[in-house]
Amino acid sequence: MTEERFVAPKNLKYFTYALITIGVISFAIGFFTDPQRTWANYLLNNFYFVSLAIGAAFFISIQYIAQAGWSAAFKRIPEAMAAYIPFAAVFFLILLIGVHSLYEWSHQETLATDRLIQHKAPFLNTPFLAVRLVIFFSLWILLTKLMRQTSLKEDIEGGLAHFHRSEKLSKIFIFIVAVSFSVFAIDMLMSLEVHWFSTLFAAKTFISAFLHGSAIITLIVILLHRNGHLNMLNRSHLHDFTRYMFMLAIVWGYFTFAQFMLIWYGNIPEETAFYVHRWHSPYQFLFYASIVLNWLIPFLLLMPRKTSRSKLAMIPVIVLLMIGYYIELYYEIWPATVHDAKFGLLEIGTFLGYAGLFSLVVINYLGKANLVPVKHPYLEESMQHHF
Amino acid sequence: MYKTSIRGKLIEGDKSLSQISHEILAPIDAKTPRWWYIAMTVSLAMFGWGLYCKYITITQGIGTWGVNNTIGWGWAIINFVWWIGIGHAGTAFSIFLLILRQKWRTAINRAAEAMTVVAVFCASLFPLLHMGRPWLFFFIFPYPNTRGPLWVNFNSPLFWDFVAISAYMLISASFWYFGMVPDFATIRDTTKSKVKKAVYGFFAFGWTGSSKEWLRFEGLSFVLGGIAAVLVVSVHSIVSTDFAVSVEPGWHTTIFPPYFVVGAIFSGFAMVLTLVTLMRKLYKMNDFITDSHVDAVCRILVFISLIMGTAYLTEIFMAWYSGSQYEMYTFFQNRITGEYAFQFWAMFVFNALMPQLFWFKSVRKRLWIVFIISILINVGMWYERFNIVITSLSKNYLPANWASYSPSIIEIGFFVGTLGMFAAGVLLFFRYIPMIAVSEIKSVAKFNNEIQPTQHHE
Repeated sequence: MTEERFVAPKNLKYFTYALITIGVISFAIGFFTDPQRTWANYLLNNFYFVSLAIGAAFFISIQYIAQAGWSAAFKRIPEAMAAYIPFAAVFFLILLIGVHSLYEWSHQETLATDRLIQHKAPFLNTPFLAVRLVIFFSLWILLTKLMRQTSLKEDIEGGLAHFHRSEKLSKIFIFIVAVSFSVFAIDMLMSLEVHWFSTLFAAKTFISAFLHGSAIITLIVILLHRNGHLNMLNRSHLHDFTRYMFMLAIVWGYFTFAQFMLIWYGNIPEETAFYVHRWHSPYQFLFYASIVLNWLIPFLLLMPRKTSRSKLAMIPVIVLLMIGYYIELYYEIWPATVHDAKFGLLEIGTFLGYAGLFSLVVINYLGKANLVPVKHPYLEESMQHHF
Repeated sequence: MYKTSIRGKLIEGDKSLSQISHEILAPIDAKTPRWWYIAMTVSLAMFGWGLYCKYITITQGIGTWGVNNTIGWGWAIINFVWWIGIGHAGTAFSIFLLILRQKWRTAINRAAEAMTVVAVFCASLFPLLHMGRPWLFFFIFPYPNTRGPLWVNFNSPLFWDFVAISAYMLISASFWYFGMVPDFATIRDTTKSKVKKAVYGFFAFGWTGSSKEWLRFEGLSFVLGGIAAVLVVSVHSIVSTDFAVSVEPGWHTTIFPPYFVVGAIFSGFAMVLTLVTLMRKLYKMNDFITDSHVDAVCRILVFISLIMGTAYLTEIFMAWYSGSQYEMYTFFQNRITGEYAFQFWAMFVFNALMPQLFWFKSVRKRLWIVFIISILINVGMWYERFNIVITSLSKNYLPANWASYSPSIIEIGFFVGTLGMFAAGVLLFFRYIPMIAVSEIKSVAKFNNEIQPTQHHE
């Protein structure tokens, strides 16, 4: 079957280098002018891009577990995205230096007086956080690497053995990611508002990662297709990618609504605090903006059969979803750390830097192997996919 | 394109289309087996006892139950939620697997849908009788009335429940029925008995099988499917708000809506598995319900079980993390340990731990283990509802109000009665309705012979 190599255009690489430079400069400027804001910004971008990578890895696992055939031809793209996880690991370890600027529970003086923080201290303390981060990232890196290796071996040797092994690894991965990403979301985002708790928060964060990860996979597939790769991409494939975004956008809306509605209805101060704290402009606006961008627009625009198979409609929705995710995280992180809704060139620059790095990683890893997993048992199903 | 070499065959044996019809429809024309009469008698006896208990409840009142002031919701609500949960799988199967284009669903969806209708009916009896004066149940309809400006409380999840469940009942029953129309026509055209010809002919709506009819038929199933997919999620989310909108410790938690939906699908799938293993054994449907079908359901169950386990752990962790002494008490002294520890651990073991055995192919291959686990999952799901309904109510904020609960014989009889009713419904379904969707099975028959890519491609 079609062997295909992706060779990154030189200009594209230079472009990502330029973006990374912008990011480094913005980050450096921010660090000297407003360190707290910069740490918040750092957390946001790290979380943003690691969730895309985790979402992508989860996407591969789900394909194996559900024995989905249609997506086989495109599995190198989520694989390349998952290759970003080691980079994220380094960033998150660096984040430990900034713990004091972000997390109230790390302050000795509040710990001395606050009964609730004292109660949570056995879990929420910097050494244990560091241990958890190391464990989570080692597991994620180990499993994604193993999955990638198996897939590359399959390319050479073929046969069903690697296929079954991939399935087994996928099972282990979802097993681990279910627990670890939940705790990770609690650590990184929920504990910013140290007194607040919501049982659905971790699940919502996970769905968000999966939703936006799938959107980026779709975007990369469409961009590669535009540049003359992945010629087998047809409207049925597009429709299936859309289905992921559409379905996950609905689940996202459902989780967001469930969390908000139950807290609103129960009206217990310790729970409503999270929303009350954000119930003024501009955060109130962001609350609605996040719902519109992450749920309403994908829901309405991707529903008709026509738009759900058209790149012309999908690309804007994906771009809006990317903005929506930024807003969602901004809404969670900023009021708890920086308090004032500061947003400017620093944030944009840092985001561009991360986007550049993420793209560079993806480009490099796409180039390292066949763009199409040539001996994947479902490749034929995928190539001839039509419904 | 469908890789049978990897995925396994959808239909075993090389069958022609007419063979498929004959084999699936055979039990309808065959003589009723003796076990059927025995099973039916037992079910009807259970049903009869249930009727007696309902009679006692209606004539003497809720006082005949074990509920008290503190624990106002007893077995009735546990069973209501349990049955509704089971009733979810039909639609979950048909719709979600239809949307996901899972071709193996064709062998199982009919049984699942039939089960839905019966289970939802069983479920609706409980809140009806729990009202105390069921003859006034129409007070729950929101309509202008002569009782003064007395409207239902639109803010009440109990009212949402009524709306969601009645809508769900209507849609799932029509979805099931319309799916059967082509099969009824097949029976009408093949049966030799005149009575059957007339009866099935009536229900077949004069189906001729023209392409126009098929077009409309497919359109209708997609529309109904789309509506039902939303309802599946809404029904159990709303059932969960019966609990979650309160401020009761252990009830008021944001994870409840999705956790209930997943739990419902879990119990429903388990019930489908119970039914199809029975169908396979009793009616020798091995060629249609193949090992790979059972395997697929097991895979779904292990995945859902994982979600359930994560949800249980999240709840326990959050109870501690919240630092709220009421939450901590409920979870650590009234669930994991304490008076109701058995029920908690029964739930945890049956729902989160035991289905993990399905990771192993050797377990998935042994039909009798699969059968036992599928039943135990539903036992576990029953205990889950017990855990939720009883433990939180029994010991909440005011220790002076604390109480215990055990069901009365009338409540037990009521539950046994619904089990009998469910079993009777399923038996009638086995006997009089094609238990596998013939027309849908035929539609996947063509995938049995793998098309070689060289004939098609390049």
